[in-house]
Amino acid sequence: MSTATIPLAGRHYDGHHPLGSAATLMLGGTEAALIGTRIAQRYRLQELRVSPRIAGAARFVVLPDGGQFECADSAALDRLPQEGRSEGVVAWLEQRLAVAVAAVVVIVAAALGGYLYGIPAAAERLAPRIPMHTERVLGDQALAWLDGRGWFQRTQLDAGLQDQIRQGFGLLHSGLPLAAHYRREFRNAPELGANALALPGGAIVITDQMVGRAQSPEEVLAVLAHEIGHVELRHAMRHVLQDSAVAVAVSAVTSDAASLGVAVSGLPVVLAQARYSREFESEADAFAFRLLRRHGLSPHAFADLMERLQGPGPDHAQAYAFLSSHPVTAERVRRARAAAQ
Amino acid sequence: MTAAIAYEAPAAAAAGTGLPDRVRELALRFEGTAGEYFRIWVVNLCLTLLSLGVFSAWAKVRKKRYFYSRATLDGTPFQYLGQPVPILKGRIVAVCLALLYYAASRFFTSLLPYVLALGAVLAPWVLVRSAAFNARYTAYRNMTFGFDAGYRDALRALYGWQGALALVLAVIAFATTAEAEAKQAMVYGAVALVFGLTFPWWLRRYKHFLVSRSVFGGRYGDLSATGGQFFRIYLLAGLLFALAGALVAALAGVLAGPLMPAARAEGGMLFAGLMLLAIYAVYVLAYAYMQAGTANLVWNTATLGAVRFESTLRARGLAKLYLSNALGILGSAGFLIPWAVIRTFKYRAEHLRVIAVDDLAGFRGRQEGTVRAAGAEVGEFFDLDVSL
Repeated sequence: MSTATIPLAGRHYDGHHPLGSAATLMLGGTEAALIGTRIAQRYRLQELRVSPRIAGAARFVVLPDGGQFECADSAALDRLPQEGRSEGVVAWLEQRLAVAVAAVVVIVAAALGGYLYGIPAAAERLAPRIPMHTERVLGDQALAWLDGRGWFQRTQLDAGLQDQIRQGFGLLHSGLPLAAHYRREFRNAPELGANALALPGGAIVITDQMVGRAQSPEEVLAVLAHEIGHVELRHAMRHVLQDSAVAVAVSAVTSDAASLGVAVSGLPVVLAQARYSREFESEADAFAFRLLRRHGLSPHAFADLMERLQGPGPDHAQAYAFLSSHPVTAERVRRARAAAQ
Repeated sequence: MTAAIAYEAPAAAAAGTGLPDRVRELALRFEGTAGEYFRIWVVNLCLTLLSLGVFSAWAKVRKKRYFYSRATLDGTPFQYLGQPVPILKGRIVAVCLALLYYAASRFFTSLLPYVLALGAVLAPWVLVRSAAFNARYTAYRNMTFGFDAGYRDALRALYGWQGALALVLAVIAFATTAEAEAKQAMVYGAVALVFGLTFPWWLRRYKHFLVSRSVFGGRYGDLSATGGQFFRIYLLAGLLFALAGALVAALAGVLAGPLMPAARAEGGMLFAGLMLLAIYAVYVLAYAYMQAGTANLVWNTATLGAVRFESTLRARGLAKLYLSNALGILGSAGFLIPWAVIRTFKYRAEHLRVIAVDDLAGFRGRQEGTVRAAGAEVGEFFDLDVSL
């Protein structure tokens, strides 16, 4: 390194008045001199600290006497001790175009990989470690809410039919790892119509309307097998984990643009939730087909019931499939028929 | 503009500027560019993702350093002095508190009231520390800002008489109802009712606290806005929202007739989508109105020593900015976020004027101690707004 003196033009701020004065910092090999209209001072280079480089903005040299010298960025400033070394590395990376291009590639890969594989895989491994009873409160609250708001009313199925379904349900889940947690609930739901749902904690609700649409006990069991799949595969917990992870990731990326509100941070979360939900439905279907066959029942029953619930005519849902929480019915029916072979 | 009168001595008007002698506008500029910021943003986001969030403290420092160093007042850039390691420690505390809240709200709901009570006790501390941290690590011409208030001041500013009233109502509700669930609902209801109805006055006190405790060079800020002025903004925004909402609903009623029975599924979805868009546009307009009104009111009635401000934000301009930002960001899968951020800063800087009497000679520097980052990071995590 040569010891040539490099002059840097800038402004000096004494730290006592918010008024600067023009000054020049003469950088030598081991010493620096600051000469200006209101200052003339010598410093050793070791005593000085220069602020980290940021884009092409002006930088500040901190002087040992509490003063500061502001000047345009220059390679000569790299001679001085840097303030915050770790930032210097980042600043170096920020200046390289190749690094920026690589960063874009990594971000796209990490976002897609995390969304499609990473987050679902992590949730799948984590969920079984969280005890079932932590979900129980949520399920109880949800059921109490549905009951309280009149969505659900007391069942009107006759006792014989209830017993029959109960028995079949007991057979279906006996021997499964989470068998101890299952409870079945019958509810009359004139407004919700034919529906069945698995609540967090292992309660499975089937509506009178669903039982009414089924033409055989096998079809009812096929629906229950699907809901058992949701419980056994811990879909409620995985939903909570995956949705939270997506929300955290999206808010981390969009934190700069938070003022734009739901349009920016909400839409990706909604789309991700819909996708995860469709995956869970397909998983639960596949689980149900295996369970049915193990008990000598045919997945055809599932397909028949799905087709009846769908009704005749074209499936409009296809156009909005990416927004839907359930896979397209035709696809589910096709898989059920294939599983029955 | 009313505040301007105080400084104007008719005889002393300097030629050309329209401002009296010794009164001078300090040019405020934001000189950042989307290209520069994109590089900083993308590299730091990438490192944050690869480090599973640990690097976010460095990312924050880099971004803030960029924004500050590209904002110049009277030709001198601002300086951000925060350091990554204290910020990282603060973020760890914030994440622990957020996890506690998350667990209580999702899984252990019986604990939620206690966690919320803890949050209410911590809030003044978080507020004071956030404001102090932001001020302490912002410098202009080698002088740092300060925020001079303690826990009790913040307690009074945050809760004040509304807090006392809500507490009294909650106690009465608690004593007169037997059922545990009803008790909880009553307490939440009392708090929401009192704070909801008096929000503009609460906001005035909050902003007044933030401004009047801010200090630079030994001079304190002051805010002369009244609660009534805040109330007018929120009343008009509310009316705007209600009116536009009614229009959208009426439109939906007119259009739904011929559309609905024809193709229920397809037409219905499209229709619902359009309605959602219309509602979003209305929401953005009302939000922009509130933002512009509040910012203008606060800046135009605030002073810092002999410095005053003129803010001329327009709701229409802000709404246009927000909508185009949102479209750009969604259309680019997020990669236009840096562009959106930079043009937002530019827009805000273009609509703020800084006017000084006596060329800042009244400010005198003094030494400042350090402020830990924990409070500030907790505040940021829970979206506490300490900006003006």
